[in-house]
Amino acid sequence: MKKLILLFVLFTSPLWALEEAYTFDDPVKQKMFLDLTEELRCPQCQNQNIADSDAMIAHDLRRKVYELLNEGKSREEIVDFMKSRYGDFVSYQPPVTPLTIWLWLLPVIFVIGAAWFVFTQRKKQVNDFDEDVLAKADSLLEKEND
Amino acid sequence: MFAELGHFSLVLALLMSMLLSVYPMWGAYKNQVQYMALAKPLAIGMFLFTAISFGALVNAFYTDDFSVAYVANHSNSLLPWYYKITAVWGGHEGSFLLWILIFSIWTVGVAVLSRGIPQAMVARVLSILGMVAIGFYLYLLLASNPFESLLPFYPVDGRDLNPLLQDFGMIIHPPMLYMGYVGFAVAFAFAISALLSGQLDSTWARWSRPWTLAAWCFLTLGLSLGSWWAYYELGWGGWWFWDPVENAALMPWLVGTALVHSLAVTEKRKIFKSWTVLLAISAFSLSLLGTFLVRSGVLVSVHSFASDPTRGLFILAILGVVVGGSLVLYAIRAPQLKSIGRYEWFSREVMLIGNNLLLTAATIVVLMGTLLPLVHKEIGLGSISIGAPFFNQMFTYLIVPFVLLLAMGPLSRWKKQSAKAIQKQMLIGFVISVCAALLIQASYNQMTYMATLGSILSVWILVSTLQEIMQRVAKENNKTSSSTTWQRLRRLTPSHWGMVLGHLGFAVTLIGITLVSNYDQEKDVRMRTGDVVEISGYVFQFNGVRELTGPNYYGHVGIVDVYTDTTLTEKITHLEAEKRFYPVQRSSMTEAGIDSGISRDLFMALGEQLNDGAWAVRIYVKPFVNWIWAGSIIMALGGLLSISDKRYRMAKVAKVKQRLSGEQTATATSSDVLATKAQGQA
Amino acid sequence: MKKASLFLIPITLFVLLSVFLYKGLYGDPRQLDSTVLNKPAPNFALPDLMQPDVIYDPSIFAGQVTLMNVWGVWCVTCAVELPYLTELSQQGVRIIGLYYDQDTDPDFGIKSIPTIQKEVAAKLAQLGNPYEFNVFDVKRDYSLDLGVTGAPETFLIDKQGVIRMHHIGDINTRVWRTKIAPLYNELIAQ
Repeated sequence: MKKLILLFVLFTSPLWALEEAYTFDDPVKQKMFLDLTEELRCPQCQNQNIADSDAMIAHDLRRKVYELLNEGKSREEIVDFMKSRYGDFVSYQPPVTPLTIWLWLLPVIFVIGAAWFVFTQRKKQVNDFDEDVLAKADSLLEKEND
Repeated sequence: MFAELGHFSLVLALLMSMLLSVYPMWGAYKNQVQYMALAKPLAIGMFLFTAISFGALVNAFYTDDFSVAYVANHSNSLLPWYYKITAVWGGHEGSFLLWILIFSIWTVGVAVLSRGIPQAMVARVLSILGMVAIGFYLYLLLASNPFESLLPFYPVDGRDLNPLLQDFGMIIHPPMLYMGYVGFAVAFAFAISALLSGQLDSTWARWSRPWTLAAWCFLTLGLSLGSWWAYYELGWGGWWFWDPVENAALMPWLVGTALVHSLAVTEKRKIFKSWTVLLAISAFSLSLLGTFLVRSGVLVSVHSFASDPTRGLFILAILGVVVGGSLVLYAIRAPQLKSIGRYEWFSREVMLIGNNLLLTAATIVVLMGTLLPLVHKEIGLGSISIGAPFFNQMFTYLIVPFVLLLAMGPLSRWKKQSAKAIQKQMLIGFVISVCAALLIQASYNQMTYMATLGSILSVWILVSTLQEIMQRVAKENNKTSSSTTWQRLRRLTPSHWGMVLGHLGFAVTLIGITLVSNYDQEKDVRMRTGDVVEISGYVFQFNGVRELTGPNYYGHVGIVDVYTDTTLTEKITHLEAEKRFYPVQRSSMTEAGIDSGISRDLFMALGEQLNDGAWAVRIYVKPFVNWIWAGSIIMALGGLLSISDKRYRMAKVAKVKQRLSGEQTATATSSDVLATKAQGQA
Repeated sequence: MKKASLFLIPITLFVLLSVFLYKGLYGDPRQLDSTVLNKPAPNFALPDLMQPDVIYDPSIFAGQVTLMNVWGVWCVTCAVELPYLTELSQQGVRIIGLYYDQDTDPDFGIKSIPTIQKEVAAKLAQLGNPYEFNVFDVKRDYSLDLGVTGAPETFLIDKQGVIRMHHIGDINTRVWRTKIAPLYNELIAQ
C-alpha cells in the first residue's frame, strides 16, 4: 500500500513546486511558526535564521517545521528534532551547559561584585578628611545642585 | 598614474605618523617647547597625505581605472557615478583607507581645536594617536593595499559592486559609523596621556568629554543608520539581528554611553577616576576588537569582508600592542590615582555609577554572546549558536534596573539624596506610566507582559524627565522671586538640555522597540492580480506585476494598493516593491515598498513567482517603527547640545585663563581656580 | 587605596581573549560537527531513481562498506567530482547515490520524474557513472535526517550500517588519500 501511494505521488504531482506562504488556521500555531523560524538557524548560511534565508536547506527546514506543527508537535519537540540532525548550532538559543552557564552568570556576578566594591570603597573613604575643607566643598556643591 | 600617487602619499602619511609619535612625546617628557610644537604641523601633514591618498582612490573609481585590482573587484563601468564613489569603501582595503582617513581627521581636529589645553597634554595625546596610526598605515601598506595593480594585464570591465550595497544607505552608514568608532581613539589617547603623565585631575575629564560626546553622537547615528538601512533594504522587516558585526559596533556604544556619564561624575566629583580611565581605554579597544572580528573571518556574519588569516594576524598584533600595552600601563599607573570624594549610598553619583555598571554588564553580555561560540568550538565542545533569543532575554532583564536608575538619577542630588524626598516623584512616575501602559495595551486590544513592561519603562523616563525640569525651574524660585518660569527655563544650560534630550531620545527609541516588537503583524501570502488581504485594519490589494529595467539590473515590480476597507473605495497609499537581477554579479535582490508614517509603516516585499502565475507577497504592518530611529536622532541632538555648552569652548577658556593669570602656559593651580570658577558659573 | 592586583584583571582577561582569537584565525567557523556519526543510518523507504517501483531501506548497507554520495544534476561541484568517483568505483569502492533535487530553481520546480531521469542518465553518460544505484530522496526528508546542508556530501557507512564519516564538499585525490581512504580500508578489513 505504501508503495502504491508513493508511486501515485511520484507520477502525478508536480515535483515539489515552489512552496511559499505557510499558513495555519490556528493563530497560536501561526505564532509558533514565526517564532520557530526565527529561532532556528540556517545551517549553511552566513548567520541567518530560516525565516529570512533563501537557501534550499532553509526552505526544507521551514517546510519541516510546518509539517511538524501540523502534526501537533510542541516547540521543544520541534527544536529537538532539528538539533538531533544538525546539532546545537541550529538553534539561536544556546544550550545550558557548564560552560554556557557563564553567559547568564558572569554579567550578574559582575554587577553584584562591582556594586559591593563601590559600597565598601565608600565606607573606607569616610574617615580621611579635614572637616573644614569638607564643609567648604559641601557649600560649593550646594550651589552645584542648582 | 594617480593610483601610484595615492600609494606614495600613503607612505608619506606613515612617515608623518612615525614622526608624530616620537617628537611631541619627547618634547612633553623633556619639556621642550619646540618639539611639542611639532605636533600640530605633523598632524596636519598626516591628514593631508591621507586625504590625497583617499582622493586618488576615489579618482581611480570615478575614472574606471581597472588597472587597480581593488577597483576591478568592486566597480563596473555601468555603475552610476555616485555608487562608484561609494564603492571606494565597498570592500576591505578601501574601507580601511576610509578608516584611517577618518582617524587622521580626528587627529587633526584635536591638533587644531585644543587651544585651552596645556601644550604638554596635547602633545602627548597627538603622539599617542600617531602611534596607533602607525599600526594602521603599516597594515594598509603591507597587508591590504588598495592600490595594488593588475598591470600589465587588466580587465576590460570590473566585477561590479555587490547589489545590496548599491544603495543610499551605503553612502552614509559606513562613514558615519567610522566617525564614531574611530572617534573614541581621542578619549583613549587622553586617558593614556593622563596615565603617562600621572596627571589625572578633573580638568582631564573636562577636556575629554566633548571629544567623547562627539564620537558618541556619530556612533549613535551610525548604528541607527545601519539598522534603518537593514530594515528597508533586506526586505524582511527586521531592524536588528544581533549579528557579530552589529554587536561589534554596539559594544563601543554601550561603553561610550557609560564613559560619557562617568566623565561627568569624575569631572564634578573627582571620584571613580580609575574606572573612567578603564572605560576610555575599553571603548576604543572594543572598536579595535570590532575591526578584528569583521575582517579576520573568525566569526560567521552576513557583513564580513572576505577573510584571510594573515590579515587577521596583523590586526590581532595591532590589538595586542595597543590594547595590551594600554592595559599594562593601566595596571601599573592606575593604582596611584586617588579619588577623594565622599558620597552616601543614595546619591546621584551612585546612581550614575550604577547605570555604568549595568551598561558594562550589557557589554559583557554582548561580548560573551558574540565570542563564546568561538571559545566553545576551540575548546573542542562543538558548535553552538547564540543569537536573538539570548540577547533579547538578557537585555530585557538589564533594562528594568537601568530605567529605574535613569528615572531617579537626574532627580537626585550629588553626594546625598534623601530617599523620602524622591519617593513622591517616583510614585507619581510609576502611577502615570502604568496608566499609560494600560491605555496602550487597550488601544491594541492585546496584552503582553513585554509590551506592558516596555511601555511602563519608556513612559516613566518621560515623566521623570519632565519632573526634573520642573524641579530645576522651581528651585531657581528660591533665589529670585521676580523671574518668570520662561526666564528660569532659559537659564538652564545647553548641557542640561543635552541630558534631557539624551534621555528623552532613549525613551522614544524604547517605546518604538516595545511597540514594534509586540504589535507588528506579518502575512506571507500567495496573491494573484486582484487578490486582497487584510492586516491590522488595512486592506492590501495586489495589482499585478510589471517589467523593470535599470542601469545595471532588470526584473519585476509588484504593485499593491492599500485601502481602509474591503470596499476598496478609500485609497490610503500605493506601494511598489521590486525584485531585481544584476547580471554582472549574477545575484538577485529585493527592494521593499514602504509607506512610512509616524504611527506605522506599511511594508511590502515581492517574493518568488509561483507556478500558477501568482506571486508570493510579504506584507507587514509595523507600528511606531520609525520611533526607533527618531529616538536615536534625538539622542544625538542631545549630545550635540552638550558639546555646545560654553564651558567646553576651549578658546573662551583660554582667554579667561590669560586674563586671570597673565601667563601663556597654564599651571596646575590656575586650572584648579578655573575649574572652581567654571563650576560656580555652570 | 585599592589592591593593585585588581588592576591586573583587565590585562589578564585580554590576554586570555587574544589566545582564543588567535586560535580562531586558523579554524573554520562554518565547519559543523555531524550529529549522525557512529549511529546507524536513520530509517527510510525511498524509491530507486531510475526504477521507481524498487523501494530501498537501510538493509542496502548490510554486509558491505558503502560510500553514499549526495548529489544532483544542478550541482556544479558534483559534476566535477563525478569522474573521480567513477574511477573509485572501478577500483571496487561501492558507491550509491542519494539523489537530492533542487526545486527552488524556477526551471526545475515543475519538472517531472521522467525529465529528471533523462537528465541524470545524460549526465552520467557524459561524466561517468560511479553509482551502483541512485536512491531518490523525494521530499529531501532523508537528507534532513542525515544533517545534509547541500551537495556534494558523502557518507561512509560500515558493514553494520553505522555511519562512520560525513564529508562535506567534493571528493578528489587528496581528500580520498588523506581523509577517507584510511578509514575505508579499516572498515573493509573488519
